[in-house]
Amino acid sequence: MAYDLSFAKDVYENAEEGHWIKMCMQCGVCAGSCPLGPHWEFSPRQLFQMIRAGKAEEVLKSESMWMCVSCYHCMVRCPRGLPITHIVHGLARFAVEKKRADKDQVTRRFAKILWENMERGGRIGEMALTTKLYMVNGIPDGVKKGMEMKDQAMSMLKSGRLKMDPLHLSRIRGHAGFKAMLKKAREIEQKKRES
Amino acid sequence: MENQKIGCYICTGCGIGDLLDIKLLEDMATKESRIPVVRTHAFLCGEEGLTTIRHDMQNEAVNTVVIAACSPRVHVETFRQLEAPLLDRVNLREQVIWVQHLKEEDDKDVFEEDRQMAAEDYLRMGCAKVKKMDPPEPFDDPGLSKTIMVVGGGVSGLTAAKEAADTGYDVVLVEKDAELGGRVAQMLKVSPVKPPYDQLEQPPTAALIAAVEGHDKIKIYKKATIKETTGAPGLFDVKIEYGAGEYSTGEDSTGEDSTGEDYSTGEDSTGEDSTGEDSTGEDSTGENSERIGAIVVATGYTLYDETKLTHLGHGTSPDVITAWEFEQMAKAGNIVRKSDGQPAKRVAFSLCAGSRDVQHLEYCSGACCTYSMKQALYVTEQYEDASTFLIYQEIRTPGQMEDFYRKVQNEGGVFIKGDINKVASGSNGGLTVDINDKLLRTPESLDVDLLVLATGMMPNIDTTDPNQETDLSASDANSVLNLQYRQGPSLPLLKWGFPDSHYICFPYETRRTGIHAAGPVRRPMGISSSMTDATGAALKAIQTVESIGRGAAVHPRVGDLSYPSFRVDGCTQCKRCTEECPFGAINEDDKSNPLFNPTRCRRCGTCMGACPQKIISFSNYSVDMISTMFKECEIPEEDEEKPRILIFACENDAYPALDMIGHNRGILTPYIRVVPLRCMGSMNLVWVADAMSAGYDGVLLMGCRHGDDYQCHFVRGSALAETRLNKVAETLDRLQLESERVKMIEVNIMDSDILPDKINAFVDDLEAFGPNPFKEF
Amino acid sequence: MAEDNTASHTILVVGGGMSGLTAAVEAAEVGYDVILVEKNPYLGGRVAQINQYFPKLCTPSCGLEINFQRIRNNPRISTYTMAEVTHIAGEEGNFTVTVRQNPRHVNEKCTACGVCAEACTTEIDDPFNFDLSKVKAIRKPHMMAYPLRYVMDPEFAKSDAAKMLAEKCPVKAIEPDMEAKQIDIPVSSIVWSTGWTPFDASKIHAYGFGHYQNVSTNMHFERIANKYGPTGGKIVRPSDGKEVKNIAFIQCAGSRDHNYLPYCSRVCCLASMKQATYVRNQYPDAKVTIYYIDLRAMDRYEAFQKKVETDENITWIKSKPASLEENPNTKDPIVIGEDTLTGERYATPYDMVVLATGMETNTALNAKVPAKFVSYDEYGFIVNQGNGLTASGCSTAPLDVASAVQSSTAAALKAIQTVVKG
Repeated sequence: MAYDLSFAKDVYENAEEGHWIKMCMQCGVCAGSCPLGPHWEFSPRQLFQMIRAGKAEEVLKSESMWMCVSCYHCMVRCPRGLPITHIVHGLARFAVEKKRADKDQVTRRFAKILWENMERGGRIGEMALTTKLYMVNGIPDGVKKGMEMKDQAMSMLKSGRLKMDPLHLSRIRGHAGFKAMLKKAREIEQKKRES
Repeated sequence: MENQKIGCYICTGCGIGDLLDIKLLEDMATKESRIPVVRTHAFLCGEEGLTTIRHDMQNEAVNTVVIAACSPRVHVETFRQLEAPLLDRVNLREQVIWVQHLKEEDDKDVFEEDRQMAAEDYLRMGCAKVKKMDPPEPFDDPGLSKTIMVVGGGVSGLTAAKEAADTGYDVVLVEKDAELGGRVAQMLKVSPVKPPYDQLEQPPTAALIAAVEGHDKIKIYKKATIKETTGAPGLFDVKIEYGAGEYSTGEDSTGEDSTGEDYSTGEDSTGEDSTGEDSTGEDSTGENSERIGAIVVATGYTLYDETKLTHLGHGTSPDVITAWEFEQMAKAGNIVRKSDGQPAKRVAFSLCAGSRDVQHLEYCSGACCTYSMKQALYVTEQYEDASTFLIYQEIRTPGQMEDFYRKVQNEGGVFIKGDINKVASGSNGGLTVDINDKLLRTPESLDVDLLVLATGMMPNIDTTDPNQETDLSASDANSVLNLQYRQGPSLPLLKWGFPDSHYICFPYETRRTGIHAAGPVRRPMGISSSMTDATGAALKAIQTVESIGRGAAVHPRVGDLSYPSFRVDGCTQCKRCTEECPFGAINEDDKSNPLFNPTRCRRCGTCMGACPQKIISFSNYSVDMISTMFKECEIPEEDEEKPRILIFACENDAYPALDMIGHNRGILTPYIRVVPLRCMGSMNLVWVADAMSAGYDGVLLMGCRHGDDYQCHFVRGSALAETRLNKVAETLDRLQLESERVKMIEVNIMDSDILPDKINAFVDDLEAFGPNPFKEF
Repeated sequence: MAEDNTASHTILVVGGGMSGLTAAVEAAEVGYDVILVEKNPYLGGRVAQINQYFPKLCTPSCGLEINFQRIRNNPRISTYTMAEVTHIAGEEGNFTVTVRQNPRHVNEKCTACGVCAEACTTEIDDPFNFDLSKVKAIRKPHMMAYPLRYVMDPEFAKSDAAKMLAEKCPVKAIEPDMEAKQIDIPVSSIVWSTGWTPFDASKIHAYGFGHYQNVSTNMHFERIANKYGPTGGKIVRPSDGKEVKNIAFIQCAGSRDHNYLPYCSRVCCLASMKQATYVRNQYPDAKVTIYYIDLRAMDRYEAFQKKVETDENITWIKSKPASLEENPNTKDPIVIGEDTLTGERYATPYDMVVLATGMETNTALNAKVPAKFVSYDEYGFIVNQGNGLTASGCSTAPLDVASAVQSSTAAALKAIQTVVKG
């Protein structure tokens, strides 16, 4: 049944800032503002209308919300004040939670690698991150990419912009506190979900 | 005018004294026009100038003042202070010295002579004009009433009645149903009108009904219809047939000439009873006549016939209902499927149901978006797990109603831009609505319990087009007022049958003086707009009765005390005046003689222009007056090669445009002589013949735009002038004069930039014909 | 404070635009005394600047002329131009209103002969044309101005040149030293009709008004299209005077937008349709695009939309453009956004772009009621309380001309009721 609102209600209640989706008036500013416009299938306002129309599978399996680069243009321009950037990220996460997001989706993979890298040291370990990203499609491909970039990497190393830490061993000061914060955040999130 | 003593005052300021030979003007006024008091002053509009005139009025018994200075549009307030019984202006500044500038190729002497001739002619015309004027005596009638009749007891009518009564006027309220309140009283709630514009409100009708039924100045007729409205503003006699009234009528059911007073002696139950349950009115029926000053028509609307909306599924299932049915359902607290009584939790609203649709109602009803949103909230209020869908073309929530749009979205209302393709009964009861979702660009199928058709409003006003209908027998048509007017029983209607004003600036302008439509009968509108509109209409009704009480015209010639008189013994019963009056002011007796109603009149003079017998005149404006004026002008001999062109200019638009040429120091040919007319409608063809025999080479008429988007302030004046001109062509042909010597052009008040060229083009045309041969005689 | 028996029966109308004019003449024509206060040196307000009205495409001067005649001929109306209400004391039936009369530097002796302006060599930006053209420092406020009296720029009045001009006036009407005056006026009731200001489009950064020369606003466009306006009515673009053959109108520029004005300004859709006709009538080959969210041609105005829709050279795109850019070489503005009915993204260059800016009520800006008893909504529109001060026209909501006149006619009656109550 089209326009079965159960999916929409689920999104309104459970996706980050999802309740705002009700308020979209389909003006198209978000779509026109997005620098990734040529790359997605559905613009934010299209996603929102699809959600209202109950098109759960199409939305959750869509790659469109993974395209957001957080430039915030849509969000500052939205005449209805929707926090579109947040909503779009929220939808991506919602798709993950609903186990509909493709595990191989590149942005999703990137996001996962980035997060793990950051969580490990409390900050980004550039060399480890780069290495891991280069290797996502296998070692030969990674080596090839690495060779292409070697001049730049060398100059960054020389100028101290890149640290020689391939295993990402460095830790921020107060790393334990950082870990505790993340733990607490997860607990809060969990509690919120249960309630 | 008896004992007329004219004072002529020539101002020499603003360059008039430098550029004109004032001595010659004075001599001309004294010797030729025989004006007893002629003076000049360097600054006539200054205090000293005024004192000079006042002195003459007091000591020389001057009672008619001719000011030869600037345009009659300027310093009106200044010279008004003189309170002269008659005053007229000669426009030497804007129409002579400011539009005649010496060009290189001009011979200076000839130029100055032409300019002086123009000034003299205008002064001659001014002096001749006042001699043909009498101060107007205002119309009065001992039977004038200031009672306001309001037709329709819905929210608009109640508002108009209450507001008029609160201002101190007696009101007669006529309602066709047994109860007051109209549609709004039958609503559950109404859309927000107060900030933050997100809460539904109680209908305003309960408080209004209480106020109106308890008002000692309001007399109410219920179950009432108007059999006949005779007379004119201030003097309307309205025959009301009623089935329930607030007053017992006793034996007096003939109602002839009875006025409101008859009732004050009867049993008076006003004031106490605000419940609407009146003790005597319940079973009283009868017919009665009321003397009425002015009328507010607030008869509301009928919803578009939903049975015609089969394309939206009407008739497919009992679950396709109208918004009105849904309102009643919600009011009963029972939003259910009509088919099986199951709760209706999924409800779709089809906006513009039959509206903005060439097959049905072409216009937008203005209120359906908002009332559908309101109804969507009813569903959400009744069911926690409600789903509402609003299928729309455009969402039209102007002004602060945009807040309400957001509110409804926030409550979960889903807005779908699209068309309904098909409606069918659903598999598990309810309906399946196939839509073409324009934003998803896919066909979608929507399962709902109810589909609500937001149908549009049609005015509750006479169904026949009065513009087409000239036969009084049409009075048995479905007319609200049954006006006994020569031009038909109904208010003139605009496109789509609304008795609205044609004027953007003047939305209360009416072609039936003293009768104002208000609320959705006038144009589609919602509740709060209707209340505002009704309050404004009440003011206009009050203004009409007050103006009539002073014998004064209402808009646009506000305050004009003159009105036409008819020398009936000269009438040939041609009926032109009765047919052409834009305001239906003139009835006919059974011998087709005109029966003039002064209080319907707006003083445009269209009747005067229409009359071939010249029997219609105002005390200060007549066929003879205008003829005399332009005949006063000196027509140069043929061999002087100085043509003369007479211009009749509409004083509302063309005349100011000519003035602006002066203000912008443009150039006009010195060969024109301009005579302002109240309206082109007052242009009498006699003038054309007179002008031609007086030796004018051409006549140019400057009227307002006519046609669908006419701008004539008197509706048809310029159009009628054009029609009359078509007839004059034959006459001119017969005189062996080129019919092109008389021409009409449309002039807009902002046309000062193009007007000189238009005039020059006409002068060029005339040159080709050569001088008017009648100059010889 | 006046005694009861001398209580004023006068109605004060604040604002001499279409709304205030209407309230004043309607009340006076019933038979009440009215004082009309207007801050500009002329009456007519916003509509005086408008080229044509929708849907009739007629000139506002036509109706204004009638209203001015109604004022000229009615001794019950006194008019104060260049005046503002600075304080209101008292209560319904018995107000004392303080009016500040700003100096015009030209007194009532002025005959509008024009000698001064001819002699004046100083020019200033013409506020009547939104500073798009120059005008003499002493001038008639605009061609159709009423009252027909000149006005001198206050800065110029301080100059020696102003004193020399004063000598030139044949009727001694010029007073460079004229000072502001305070007047206390007892009145019975007040109608507040202070009108609106076009929303400041430069606040919408993404649209580049003020940076891109060929991005204009609807009110500026009214002057550009007017034959007495800065371009003599020739619709040409500001950067190079090129004829505008391809133009876009962007609706809801600031309206229906939580960043700016969350409400709908009601008239802009119809105004843009009207302005499309200006272009189309001037250039038979011109193309017009209207970008909109919803087309709001309310009620019978639908006929106008239908009429404009028959023009095949006008394209309608349901889209709120995201941003504008400028081609640095051609100075063509480029409109960027998504067509919501096709899902396609566009970046389309035009000769000129007109932003349909909305109405901001002056009661939220420079014409707040200087008294405590007024209630406003979130946007600064007045919510009438029935306490002797009645707001009308665009002081209550964004309204089209006819609706503003209705509102003001109604307000005149409310004002009269206060007088009647005594």
